[in-house]
Amino acid sequence: MHLTFWGVRGSYPVPGAATVRYGGHTSCVELRSESGGCLVIDAGTGLRGLGQKLAQEARDPGGTTYNLILSHVHWDHIQGLPFFEPAYIGDTKIVVHAPRAAAKELRLVIGGITRHEFFPVALDAVPADFEFQEVTPGKAFDIDEFTVLPIGLNHPFGAVGYRVDADGSSMAYVSDTAPFDRMLHKQHFTAGVEEPNSDDLAILSEMRANLVQSLRRVDTVIYDTHFTKGEYEQFTHWGHSTPDHALEICHEAGVRQLVLYHHAPAHDDDAMDKIAEQYGVRGKRMAIAVCVAREAMTLTMGEATNPGFGV
Amino acid sequence: MKIRFWGVRGSCATPGGRYLRYGGNTTAIEVRSDSGHRILIDLGTGVTELAKELMAAEFGQGKGVLPVLLTHTHVDHIQGLPFFTPLFIRGNSIRIMGRELAGVSLKEVLQDQLNGHYSPLYGLENLAAGLEVQTLKTGASWPAEGFEVKTELAPHGSTSVVACRITADGKSVVIMTDVEHAPEGISPELTELARDCDLLVHDAMFSDSEYAQRAGWGHSSVGSAIAVAESVGARRLALFHHSPDSSDEHLDMIVGQATESSSVAVFAAQEGHDVDI
Ligand SMILES: [Zn+2]
Ligand SMILES: [Zn+2]
Ligand SMILES: [Zn+2]
Repeated sequence: MHLTFWGVRGSYPVPGAATVRYGGHTSCVELRSESGGCLVIDAGTGLRGLGQKLAQEARDPGGTTYNLILSHVHWDHIQGLPFFEPAYIGDTKIVVHAPRAAAKELRLVIGGITRHEFFPVALDAVPADFEFQEVTPGKAFDIDEFTVLPIGLNHPFGAVGYRVDADGSSMAYVSDTAPFDRMLHKQHFTAGVEEPNSDDLAILSEMRANLVQSLRRVDTVIYDTHFTKGEYEQFTHWGHSTPDHALEICHEAGVRQLVLYHHAPAHDDDAMDKIAEQYGVRGKRMAIAVCVAREAMTLTMGEATNPGFGV
Repeated sequence: MKIRFWGVRGSCATPGGRYLRYGGNTTAIEVRSDSGHRILIDLGTGVTELAKELMAAEFGQGKGVLPVLLTHTHVDHIQGLPFFTPLFIRGNSIRIMGRELAGVSLKEVLQDQLNGHYSPLYGLENLAAGLEVQTLKTGASWPAEGFEVKTELAPHGSTSVVACRITADGKSVVIMTDVEHAPEGISPELTELARDCDLLVHDAMFSDSEYAQRAGWGHSSVGSAIAVAESVGARRLALFHHSPDSSDEHLDMIVGQATESSSVAVFAAQEGHDVDI
């Protein structure tokens, strides 16, 4: 199994000279099995480029099914969806797997971004057929040759990570999530840290234990490391982690390769270079190879020497 | 009067090395009068850069006042709102003006943009700054201190958008984006709005050959932007709302062709560039 990053940025896309090397598109990863099966994780602005490639690749103009698994439906994880070229090709099926974090039907929530006030073409009006599948943390399911395990995460309104196994190799996508100690994210606005009560702490520790269990010896883990340590102290209630949090979880789970992901918009290429260097060294001490996700970077799961893991 | 383009791209932001000169942020235009008044047109991703400048001045202390005119609420024109940091500072007074929409209020649409599914802000009420959403009728003057703002509806596919003429210091800029005029040409109301303006900022998403395949999508070709500029007697034309598929090289070529065929001085809007009117 291998994967390619189409979007590595969190919050919003960041064009310009300062992000040319690591990339400015929001969350989107393409997974491929050895036999060429495709699974898309998250639908940020990176999905537009991937969609153009997939549309060109399709042998017949139609008859193709695409599977998208979404961590959650914050804008930076769905804003590429209206620009996904296969959606405009007839006889195409697009299956969206996502957590339903509220009473509303998934179709309504995701269909909502294509309400005519937001986008000229309504979801029901595109030539492709959309199907929505609800995922539940802990309940694994198969998509062709991929086995997908959703993992509950700690993020405003709720999010899920995924462990994906195929061809005897594995990867996990852990984004977006806060660490599991300072605050339990729920479904309401918080202007600052909300001290967890004893119930909250119990939920957090179970969530954390589940995550570690699910990541056990996964070949490569992609992790939300939006913040530096200092930024995290300032924005603890925003629902994101630091590379230190990611290393701690990976260490416990016996993971050997960690990819830092969901870069803050303010982190320009030079800042990312520093993070790469700093955590390359820190990871090495813990026997974890660390690299920073870059747009267009391809990694092979289960391979000890990936070119991305430089340090 | 001066304008600055903070975002010139249509539909979808375009990070990457192929878009560095013209810029990859979605639409946002700042207009500034000689007396220091400001009005912002649209809230695409370009406003995240403007926010840095504003926060370094009075908006950082909660003393900023900013009227914003929304041409419409398609995502590329509002997606910077949740990341516009002056909205997080108590004391700033930010007023969003838009037109009435059929069946739903402008406030409801923006509220839905920030609902808990899509955004950790969970709604407009959680923005610390005073935010007023004002629905106004087109055809009348819209209020913005230091400017005269005239508006008209312009056709955009199956819907319509607000086109505006902003006047200060004896100069006028007309902004007409996300517009596709009828095959017979620009309407009399829009002609009147844009007549003899000093700068026309016009949708030119497609080159003339690209447009052939995209008629009815609600956007203009370069040729139709030139025709409008010539027919209303604009002094200069800025091509705007560049397609996410148009690289810097492609835009250079488009500008080259436009310069040859247009009797009005023409350029392509560039992110971060000031234009003296
Ligand atoms: Zn995110
Ligand atoms: Zn999120
Ligand atoms: Zn637009």
